[in-house]
Amino acid sequence: MLTLQVIANVWDKHLMTMRTIEHLQMFSIALLLSIIIGVTVGVFIYMRPKTANAVLNFLNIVETIPDLALIVLLLPILKLGAGPTIAACVLYSILPVARNTYTGLKGVDEQYTYVAHAIGLSPQEALFKVRIPMSLPLIAGGIRIALVFCMGVVTLGGLVAAGGLGTVLQNGIQLYEKDAILVAGLWTGLLAVFLDGFAGIVEKKLHERYGTW
Amino acid sequence: MQTERLFDRIDSIQFKGITKKYGTGFAVKDLDLEIQGGELLILIGPSGSGKTTTLRMMNRMIEQDSGSVTINGLDTREVDPVRLRRNMGYVIQNIGLFPHMTIGENIGLVPKLERWDKNRIEERVRELLNFVSLPPEMFMDRYPRQLSGGQQQRVGLARAMAMDPPLFLMDEPFGALDPILRKQLQKEFLKIKNEINRTIVFVTHDIEEALILGDRIAIMDQAKLVQVGPPEELIFNPVNELVADIVDTKRKFKHMDTLNVKDLMSPFDEKYVFDGKINSCDAVEEMTTRDIETAFVFDDDELLGQVTMMDLMKCRVKIQKLADVARPVKTFQPLDSVAFALSELKNSGEYLAIVMNSKHPIGILVSDEVLLKLI
Repeated sequence: MLTLQVIANVWDKHLMTMRTIEHLQMFSIALLLSIIIGVTVGVFIYMRPKTANAVLNFLNIVETIPDLALIVLLLPILKLGAGPTIAACVLYSILPVARNTYTGLKGVDEQYTYVAHAIGLSPQEALFKVRIPMSLPLIAGGIRIALVFCMGVVTLGGLVAAGGLGTVLQNGIQLYEKDAILVAGLWTGLLAVFLDGFAGIVEKKLHERYGTW
Repeated sequence: MQTERLFDRIDSIQFKGITKKYGTGFAVKDLDLEIQGGELLILIGPSGSGKTTTLRMMNRMIEQDSGSVTINGLDTREVDPVRLRRNMGYVIQNIGLFPHMTIGENIGLVPKLERWDKNRIEERVRELLNFVSLPPEMFMDRYPRQLSGGQQQRVGLARAMAMDPPLFLMDEPFGALDPILRKQLQKEFLKIKNEINRTIVFVTHDIEEALILGDRIAIMDQAKLVQVGPPEELIFNPVNELVADIVDTKRKFKHMDTLNVKDLMSPFDEKYVFDGKINSCDAVEEMTTRDIETAFVFDDDELLGQVTMMDLMKCRVKIQKLADVARPVKTFQPLDSVAFALSELKNSGEYLAIVMNSKHPIGILVSDEVLLKLI
């Protein structure tokens, strides 16, 4: 039985407050980097449409590598610790963010870009004042997918001494402590659901504010 | 990005030998056209006639293959397109407003990019919203989708006026509105047009709109300019079948023989009456206070003729009496036919006449007004 007493014991024994903080730290850094890199890549391939196919195909290939394998592949380069885990998160998350940014920018009705230019906006101004704001709902959708990816990959980080809640799960498996596995598993899941819900609200707000389709 | 003002007013815009090809077809072929400063020129024609292409070459949204567009002698290709466009107001049909910006942000967008300070932008936005009869408190913070089509179109006009440009390009601005709303906006626009007194180039496919709004109308067909001139010229002297068809000469005027002068005249007003004995300089003063440009000179009951403000400004001699400078004026009887009256006016080169009932003036016949009433 999973009583409060059991949960409290597992929580103390496995330093879960500290692990949760580590977990969210890795997650935040990874997500932030994914957004920055993903949006930049998305805008870049939008401005150079000839590169779009090649870049998106390459990112698709990265996406097909199993996550555990990707982390292990990164180990020799980035050593043990949080590095490989964060890098793997980012590599996975660039695709959804970049693809949605690209699709969003392309999806903005040509008329709006036309008018923007006709009333005297320079190409950059048209991009930053019209196209990107109007793509925000779709970009947010991409970020939400990235968020779910990251939660999963960060948990795997426990296997390569990255810290975080994955470490608790790993220890639970090694020591065969069912309660620890259960508590850490449920807690990780709860965090993911909570963050996804939050992202959903943000996405909806953006839709109301900027969405036209 | 901040840009400089290119021109304070438009003297003339010249299209010289403009050609634009799309694939093997011509969008515009060998176009020569002059747009005079201060006029509203209508570009009209069937779809694919090149009217929109012509308009878009003025702000370089489309670049011509050969020929040149010069504004006040300045070749548009020598100007940075962004700068050029900020010196022109641009109005397009229905979709023109950005959905993610409030009405205030839409109107203030270019001023903001021009780094105006916040207060100045807000002041300008309020001024413009008032000008297009939308109370700023009510509309500034709304989004375009919360406005009706007519309201959006007014905001579009306000946005075009933000930088107070000397030239407006209007691309079927009322095209997407229902007919009644369109009429109403045309009427308002006519008022605005007279107030702002700017050069306007206006694309439409609606001939009635063209006849109501245009100072001159340019008819295009199959990439070529067919005829350009004031509305009455197109109606009376269409150069070919197509022009006659577009202005619909036959249908619109088939009742003209049955109509009488009294049906189409404007009622006479005492303010037009001047005594032949007063001198020219006093008459100028008096005409200014009465806010009229033309006066009819009477000696007691006898009509001596007409004088215009322009005539009087030229002669500076104090002692000159109105009776001496009055020019003959056409007179018609109330039951004369309109067709007869219009052709008389046309032949004499006049645009107005006085309608007399035996000895008493009862109305004024203005050729442009008659035409408008006929359509």
